[in-house]
Amino acid sequence: MTQQELADKAGVTRQTIIAIEAGGYSPSLTLAFKIVKVFGVSVEEVFQYGKGKS
Amino acid sequence: MNKTQKSAIFCLVTFLFCVVVMAYPFISIFILKSWPESFFSRFWSMIAYFVFIAASIIFLRKKQSPAEPDFDERDDLIKKRAVLVSFVSVWILLAAACIIPRFIVGETGAIPVYVLTFINLGIFMVAMLVHSIAVLVQYGWGGKDGQG
Repeated sequence: MTQQELADKAGVTRQTIIAIEAGGYSPSLTLAFKIVKVFGVSVEEVFQYGKGKS
Repeated sequence: MNKTQKSAIFCLVTFLFCVVVMAYPFISIFILKSWPESFFSRFWSMIAYFVFIAASIIFLRKKQSPAEPDFDERDDLIKKRAVLVSFVSVWILLAAACIIPRFIVGETGAIPVYVLTFINLGIFMVAMLVHSIAVLVQYGWGGKDGQG
């Protein structure tokens, strides 16, 4: 799946997906659930809370 | 580039153009003391505006993908921060507009009314420029992927 396809399915812009992947932006709960719903997995499998950043 | 970045670039270019357009009559009337004779010399700015607006409509309407939203939660956050920065810049400029004339004309001096118009318009334009720059800085100057 491309970033643009994920962005279209999650209802956000491609730049937001890029910022999330780069760790430059923490999505809201709503957006996080939308993204994991696209992949069909749980939130913990996609997002991890690390040292100093989520 | 998403719609928010395109809008910020459009505002940046528009208000920079406004500064140039305002400077032209100001220089003509108060420095050169003469007004151009030919139609194009007088109304070049109006013609340039129409061409610029027409080109911008095409630029702004083009989307990265058909399903791209006009703005998302990250765009909202960036715009809110940019508005805050712009608001702070307005206060700084207002303070400067109150302080600087005191040093130029003195405490009991007089300023022509048209100077107030230029000051007000100038503050508005600079605030819009600051807003656009703040949006673009947060996006990373609209790089290819808008990272930043």
